[in-house]
Amino acid sequence: MKSVLAKHIRASALAAAALAILAASPASSQELNALIWCDHADPALLQPFEEANGVKVNVKEFEGTGAGLALVEQSQPGDWDVMVIDSIDVRRGVEKGLFEPLPEDQLPFADLFPEVKLDNYTVIDGKRYGITEKFGYNTIAYNKEKVDPADMQSLASLIDPKYKGRIAIYDYYLPVIGMAALSIGKKTAELTEADLPAIRDVLMKMKGNAKLVGEIVASQTALGTGEVDILVGGGEFVTAGLAKENPALDFSIPKEGAVLWSQALAMFKDSKNKDLALKFIQYILSPEGQARLATSSCYWGMPANSKAALTEEEKKTLRFDEQPEFLARAQAYPAPDAALDKKMQDVWTEMLQAQ
Amino acid sequence: MRVLAKLLVSAYALAVYGFIFLPVIVLVLFSLQATSFPIPPFTGPSLRWYEAVLADQRLTSALINSVLVALLSSLAAVTLGFLAAWGFARYHLPRSGLLRGLITLPLTVSYLIIGMGLLILFNWAGVPKSLIAAGIGHVVINLPLCFAIIYSQMGDHQVNIERAARDLGAPEWKVLFLVSVPVMWPAIFAAFFLSMTFSWDEFVIAFLLTRFDTTLPVEIWNMLRSGLNPRTNAVGSMVFAVSIVLALLLELAFLRRRRQ
Amino acid sequence: MPWALVTPALLWTLVFFVLPFIAMVVLSLLEHDGGAATLANYRQFFGNPSYWRALVNSLEVTLTVTVISVLLAYPFAWILAEVVPLRLQRLALVLAVLPFWTSYVVRSYSWLLVLSENGVVNRALTGSGLLSEPMQLANTRAATVIGFVHFFVMLLTLTIFANLKQLSPSYRRAAADLGAGPVRTFLHVILPLTLPGIVVGAFLTFVLAIGDYITPQILGGNNELLMPQLIMMQIGRRGDFPLASALAIVLMAVVTLAYLFCARWLKIERA
Repeated sequence: MKSVLAKHIRASALAAAALAILAASPASSQELNALIWCDHADPALLQPFEEANGVKVNVKEFEGTGAGLALVEQSQPGDWDVMVIDSIDVRRGVEKGLFEPLPEDQLPFADLFPEVKLDNYTVIDGKRYGITEKFGYNTIAYNKEKVDPADMQSLASLIDPKYKGRIAIYDYYLPVIGMAALSIGKKTAELTEADLPAIRDVLMKMKGNAKLVGEIVASQTALGTGEVDILVGGGEFVTAGLAKENPALDFSIPKEGAVLWSQALAMFKDSKNKDLALKFIQYILSPEGQARLATSSCYWGMPANSKAALTEEEKKTLRFDEQPEFLARAQAYPAPDAALDKKMQDVWTEMLQAQ
Repeated sequence: MRVLAKLLVSAYALAVYGFIFLPVIVLVLFSLQATSFPIPPFTGPSLRWYEAVLADQRLTSALINSVLVALLSSLAAVTLGFLAAWGFARYHLPRSGLLRGLITLPLTVSYLIIGMGLLILFNWAGVPKSLIAAGIGHVVINLPLCFAIIYSQMGDHQVNIERAARDLGAPEWKVLFLVSVPVMWPAIFAAFFLSMTFSWDEFVIAFLLTRFDTTLPVEIWNMLRSGLNPRTNAVGSMVFAVSIVLALLLELAFLRRRRQ
Repeated sequence: MPWALVTPALLWTLVFFVLPFIAMVVLSLLEHDGGAATLANYRQFFGNPSYWRALVNSLEVTLTVTVISVLLAYPFAWILAEVVPLRLQRLALVLAVLPFWTSYVVRSYSWLLVLSENGVVNRALTGSGLLSEPMQLANTRAATVIGFVHFFVMLLTLTIFANLKQLSPSYRRAAADLGAGPVRTFLHVILPLTLPGIVVGAFLTFVLAIGDYITPQILGGNNELLMPQLIMMQIGRRGDFPLASALAIVLMAVVTLAYLFCARWLKIERA
């Protein structure tokens, strides 16, 4: 029996050693570790970069900025190289001392749509920490064969009993709270706790009309399959990818305005592969990278670089030429501080739970 | 009257079978869809989504990861469970009931809570997320199961056989490997098989504890989040087919052994 | 010597189960940012109706699922064990649990397609003239319940079948000899004898269903939140592990109560 046990112990020691080695193996210089949203996981986007540089890009998807930053804090310094983050949240990463300033001269800043550079969010103490790569609108997406397009020019239609049971709400609290704010004439950038009761009322009425509250895919599915006709918080990121399947899907920027979403790339201060990280950012911001990112299989969106190598048809689907007008009417994501953020999430939870 | 009863019974059984198979049939049928929406009307048959799945490296590597995690974690769970069951069944240990209760305790706790606890512990200990972390979690959920199955099957007749072997002069390790393990084989196998099944299909622990390399359920979840298309049907149908073939092979091997 | 056999399993349970639990309890008593001791996380749960509503929802859904699953599975298992000819029983049983081997994430997703407005169920109902308008099935609590019941009917059929097969036929013969008809035999002999098995199965259903995130998340359409969804929301959206821990501990307390309720049937004993 002893020998068996000895064997057992030796085996477990071996296993433990193997575990330690595997667990501790640091990212080799041939790998880039990226915290991303699902659009960056598309092989059509990553493979050209991997092949051109002979590297492997490891990606990990995350949901909200809070969770993304928590992931970083749970990791060892140097585990991560680049991160996709809401442009407005770049500051949060900088405050935690996570990001590295980006070399403006090595990135195509001049080609970016000026409205999405968002310097007041991405430049901190004179240094730029994030570059916007993709943007779009949280607005009203709808099926133009099933609803009156004229109604879609006003956010008030969303709480109109006429559309009861025909609506889905995109399950992300910031943009939809932003839209609720717009519908009562508030500016998304100036929201305070005092505005929440009125916003809550709008959300509750929307919920009363809604069939479901879903993440991108659930709401995309609902709209695409005819389960609902209107998606609150939807936009080109929902309709463009489905345009081929269902050309009746469209989006509008109502008269009250829409919420501008914008995602940026940032580089980690503790990255061990800063050269490669910069190359990756350069690739994503290049005309080719931008076109692939804009038409990623997960969701489409406007490329931040106005020189993106999109086909005419893709441009049409994304409504490329109408952007100046859209941008003029769009307002940024609400950017609450921690206390207000918690309050907003509580309002959102309350809306989800409302019967 | 009898005929009516028989009819009712058959109708009920058929209805339940129908309910059980409905999602599977729909899943497989629309994996052959030619267009991008896996809902009626059926536009296939087409194999394009299967091709898309096979060409997807993330999915195929997730598949291999899943098999590895399931195999290794089940092996560990069965080994630990068998040794403990043997110890508790053969020897009188102080506070045996309490300790057995401790080992089976994780059975009553949701996977989500086990996964969260491990995530928090690993964070504090500085252990990075990995497949191994997920495997450890799978051993936690499967060890009590293996222990309970094997322990409940350790009857007195096995003790007698072991005693006979010992009386004939067999050393303890020979008793264990040449007598106890073969005698207990059906229970050990059942425990291993169940562990494999649970690990293979486990989502939330793997979701919380892995990073880049992940298991198939997590990868399917990521895929679901990245858009509705029949690719999910295709991968689901393939997993189904592979699982059934494996289950049948194991079943055959098991049956043959039992008949011997 | 005996300790050497049982220690690895005990140690594993202590390090990877008990210790994480303690870590979770400690964390649940800390602030999200800062780490000072606080009861705020529990206060958030008990003081905020939309939070404890999640627990009520979870209990309602889980109990509904448990009851429906047992009621559906028992007659089915009985048919398999008593009506189906012996040589076909194995096949019948294997068929009954076959869909168990579809991936569990995929199974929920498949139900969403089945139940959607243009899915096969609604097509069949409207096509056959039973309904003039499609019903809303997907993205409701009913969808969550259906998804759960599907899984647990298979599981319970398995456990109840095993239970029925273990009954010695002599009980039934004895009951018949004493003049009991089939109904009375069932009510007074078979049902009581299979009750422990049912309780074990029901408890398993309860534990697995109340902790499940996937099924309500995919099928419920977020029209309401269950506890696992609320917990995952704290982790996924905000990285608020202290609050998530507090919620998890509340959930665990509920399961423990259920366990105590069923405890006398749940002992694991040697054959």
